[in-house]
Amino acid sequence: MIMKLRKNLQEILEDLKIHEQFKENIVTWRTIEERPAKNVPLPGDLHVQLKEALENRGIGQLYTHQKTSYETVMSGKSIVAVTPTASGKTLCYNLPVLQTVLSNPNARALYMFPTKALAQDQKSEINEIIQETGMNINSYTYDGDTPANIRQKVRQAGHVVITNPDMLHSAILPHHTKWVSLFENLKFVVIDELHTYRGVFGSHVANVIRRLKRICRYYGSDPVFICTSATIANPLELAENLTESEMTLIDNNGAPTGRKHFLFYNPPIVNKPLNIRRSATLEVRKLAGELLKNKIQTIVFARSRVRVEIILTYLQELVKNQLGPKSIMGYRGGYLPTERRKIEKGLRSGEIYGVVSTNALELGVDIGQLQVCIMTGYPGTISSAWQQAGRAGRRHGESLVIMVASSSPLDQYVIQNPEYFFTQSPETARINPDNLIILIDHMKCAAYELPFKAGEKFGNVETEELLEYLTEERVLYQNGDKWYWMNDSFPAHNISLRSASQENIIIVDQTNVANVKVIGEMDRFSAMTLLHEEAIYLHQGTQFQVEKLDWEEKKAFVREVDVDYFTDANLAVQLKVLEVDKLLEHPDMEIGYGDVSVRAMATIFKKIKFETHENIGSGPIFLPEEELHTSSAWISLDKPLADMGHERLEQGLVGTAHALNHIAPLFVMADPQDIHVVPQVKADHNEKPTIFFYDRYPGGVGLSEKIYTGMVPVFRETRKMVTGCQCESGCPSCVGTEAVSETAKRDTLKIIDFFLDASASKER
Amino acid sequence: MSLKNKLNRLKPHLGSGKQEDLSKSSHLIKEEHSGGSVIPSEKEPEIVIPYLDQWKAEGALPYFFDNNYCLVREVRFPLDQKHGHFRFRDFLQAVKVWNEIGISHPLSALGHHPEELFFFDTETTGLGGGTGNTIFLLGYASIKGEELVLRQHVLPNPGAEVPLYQSFLESVNYKTLVTYNGKSFDWPQVKTRHTLVREHVPKLPSFGHFDLYHASRRLWKHKLDRLKLSMVEKEILGVLREDDIPGHLAPMIYFDFIERKQPEGMLGVLKHNEIDILSLVTLYTHLTFQICGLDEGQTSQETYEVGRWFSSLGEKGEAVKRFDSIAEGDDHVSAHAQLALAYERKKVRDWEKALILFQAVADSGISDIGREACIEGSKILEHKLKNPQIALEFVHKALKMDEKPAEIPPLFLADALKRIKRLENKCRKFPEEADKRTGNDLSIL
Repeated sequence: MIMKLRKNLQEILEDLKIHEQFKENIVTWRTIEERPAKNVPLPGDLHVQLKEALENRGIGQLYTHQKTSYETVMSGKSIVAVTPTASGKTLCYNLPVLQTVLSNPNARALYMFPTKALAQDQKSEINEIIQETGMNINSYTYDGDTPANIRQKVRQAGHVVITNPDMLHSAILPHHTKWVSLFENLKFVVIDELHTYRGVFGSHVANVIRRLKRICRYYGSDPVFICTSATIANPLELAENLTESEMTLIDNNGAPTGRKHFLFYNPPIVNKPLNIRRSATLEVRKLAGELLKNKIQTIVFARSRVRVEIILTYLQELVKNQLGPKSIMGYRGGYLPTERRKIEKGLRSGEIYGVVSTNALELGVDIGQLQVCIMTGYPGTISSAWQQAGRAGRRHGESLVIMVASSSPLDQYVIQNPEYFFTQSPETARINPDNLIILIDHMKCAAYELPFKAGEKFGNVETEELLEYLTEERVLYQNGDKWYWMNDSFPAHNISLRSASQENIIIVDQTNVANVKVIGEMDRFSAMTLLHEEAIYLHQGTQFQVEKLDWEEKKAFVREVDVDYFTDANLAVQLKVLEVDKLLEHPDMEIGYGDVSVRAMATIFKKIKFETHENIGSGPIFLPEEELHTSSAWISLDKPLADMGHERLEQGLVGTAHALNHIAPLFVMADPQDIHVVPQVKADHNEKPTIFFYDRYPGGVGLSEKIYTGMVPVFRETRKMVTGCQCESGCPSCVGTEAVSETAKRDTLKIIDFFLDASASKER
Repeated sequence: MSLKNKLNRLKPHLGSGKQEDLSKSSHLIKEEHSGGSVIPSEKEPEIVIPYLDQWKAEGALPYFFDNNYCLVREVRFPLDQKHGHFRFRDFLQAVKVWNEIGISHPLSALGHHPEELFFFDTETTGLGGGTGNTIFLLGYASIKGEELVLRQHVLPNPGAEVPLYQSFLESVNYKTLVTYNGKSFDWPQVKTRHTLVREHVPKLPSFGHFDLYHASRRLWKHKLDRLKLSMVEKEILGVLREDDIPGHLAPMIYFDFIERKQPEGMLGVLKHNEIDILSLVTLYTHLTFQICGLDEGQTSQETYEVGRWFSSLGEKGEAVKRFDSIAEGDDHVSAHAQLALAYERKKVRDWEKALILFQAVADSGISDIGREACIEGSKILEHKLKNPQIALEFVHKALKMDEKPAEIPPLFLADALKRIKRLENKCRKFPEEADKRTGNDLSIL
């Protein structure tokens, strides 16, 4: 291609408006106008060195939210600051921390970032300011990569220790006696990316913070918490639940933003009767290809690891001749850290033009400014979508965000209700620090760290019964009014904060017999459907076939292959109610909440052709059943639908469950995999037609409980989605493919209406 | 719903934080309390100590502090008692040697009286560092007059760490710790647990520290697969353990002890710890004689390792002495010693003596070090003695060392070929220089 023919972003925007192939599919075009900065002068009490350091770095004023944060923190209050991408959030904590350390060299601060990459980034940033001040302030990262010979220095002399929750959990707290100078003088705990601490992970981290506060109390410190969060519905509630401290919310964002075009792109319908649209993946290939051909730096987000790899394969092929394969890379959780660092660097330097990522890049990893962001499907939450959109055009200049909808009901709901997306944020980040499994695990760690005293609370939890349980289990030993750790293990080593199932499957590449190597890992539950034998596993765009899955030894052996399909597996689920905790009875309907047992088994997998997405074969999966005890919310309907007939009732329930499964995650800010919906024509416990929602993590993390309290809005929005669907009798976009009967859609609506009527009747 | 029901239901998911060993420990604990005594509590002025008679019979007495107590056992051994190949009295001799011989070495007791050394070992409830790993036994021995006095401070329950450390710190005024791997394990763990009670007990004094684990590694890693103290005892020190309780069972026995209070199992652990400490005395004595060259039974390999140790400490004179003493033979060790000596000579730029020694190693017929020696010799000839001709012969000799050329390491081969090329060039360019040098230097070959 000749240089002058290369288009810039402006020209591309014109193309999108004019060209038939794009124009028709763009259903919403919002232009978010630039927003000027709201500036205020630097605080008057700022140390001269610090003030000069800021001014030397071109910071002569603060944004409003930075100033408020500074003042609130300096007055001794804990805060949570809501800060969109690139709004200068780091000053919200660096400023009060540095100011305090400058006045009191004994003061210490602990920074916690969800990933090592973010910690590295922040260390460079704070060190640049420190250097500028010329003061002797030490800031270090403390993580798995910290060399042994400087660890001692970090422990004793680090004013600012930058770490992650896993390290705090397994390396710092269990060795607190080596950190006396930190814990005696800890003034601040910084929790960045607060919104990532939700669900199972957040529930674990809340307990790690309980342990942290307990150790601080022991050494006589009482740190102020400084949290920063992306936009979610309940930042204050989340921060208060996570830290069990009173918080001040700071949301007067004063940072400027550039002009941003936000496009909703709905692929054309290719199958009218089934209402099937052209695959989002293929549309993204077209759009991203067009941009990358013009060397416009673009980031493509996809929802799953598999999707990332498929798009990567497409794109690397498409631009092979122009850019060389290395200029477009994948980025996701399964890659090894060194691989990821290399990609981050390439993006910043501009050597890499295109990156295809899972939400791993949603977080504040510094990759410089990209011009365009394309989302393959709705990322699942509004918060997540804005975070991803923030990757394009970070502060100044024009940028483009394209959200390409898939056929899934949730995507179709969002794309047809742009107001929903642009005006409200109903997502709440939920954690359940009192999930018994998580709680018990951290009680063990806490007892290892310091003995429990009678009457002592762990966070807000009364501990007596739990201590008795652990004593019966012979993990603790009671002597007088104290409980001591009495076991030869190191409990934190057996407890992972990140994955639901503790033991990950290691992925071993045996393509080259002489050089067998580990290329990644995956949690057990995902492995059931992604690493079964014969599955096609994609890694950096390379296809591997799983040759052997050793479930006992937790190893999957893979070999490189070159095939034109990917695999997709089914999971069969059985569910039983064990105990009913809450029950709301209406005339013809009941809403329940309680404990359930779920048994899941991977059954079969399908081979699906890349280009056409047609099914070209299938096979059985032989893996043991996994059992899960968790919490669940459900609705049971009385006789109503007797006239419907068994067959139609069943189809209707399947359709309703399918539709609900796509809307429910919206309300609890969870990944669709975190909450499951299962229908039963005749539930075991009450013999009524029932639809269950359950948390996928043992013991539950509060998702079902939230749904229990908000069942009506979930059904109401689901109804909107189903009626809004343009198909006649049900399609993958509303009631799914399993409900195949002619009447499925009508019956689904009937069931939803029946529920809504019954719930209203209570008020009569 | 009751919490207990819920906990029991979730039991399958609750497995991960503790280890399987619990099942084993529970059958140990099945027996009922037979002592019938009450657990001492702070409210009771009278502290009742379960099985006190049995403890007394074993030399253990309670130490009271802060309304709590620990147990301190004391055993005295006459200096003429033998432990392994040595008597405790021999340790006095060892300290004397260091004070008289004037050899500088990290294990040297120069300036110390025998009474100032403090042989120390602990038993803990788990492996590895970490705050929750409790020390339940602090044991140490030292010389007092005509006796070796061993004391063991026992933690009778996890709440009694204040009396434990109080009693311990009250009675330790020594200069130097002698331990087995105590630098990385026992002492840091003492520091960790001490931190938790630091407001109630005296500060930890600072000590010198002889860690005999590292010394044993240096001397015996060539003959022992594992350098556990029990291996060194058996293979080197002649210590026989009878009915010994394996150290890894100690945590289980302790958990059982605090449940049932019955001292029997603990007495076994105490015995185990006692032997560990006594062996430290023997080991220090033996190591002293080894290092100072006073052990007539020292193998030439041991002498060689001592030499290497001195060499790495920069003690050239002592190193050369050791190597010299074993360089005469025609076995592997002698050849290694010659090679080491050659390097020592090279370090002091005594090129000719070094060359003779490298030559001798080259002639030993041991291919790996022979090859190395040839190349070293050739380097001296090329760069220092300026004799490329003979240097070239040395390189060729290196390549002929093996019957099968395939056994020559590829990197070595590549380097040697480069060297040959360069030397051939030099020979061609400066033939007269080569000739000139011939004759005077080569008499030594």
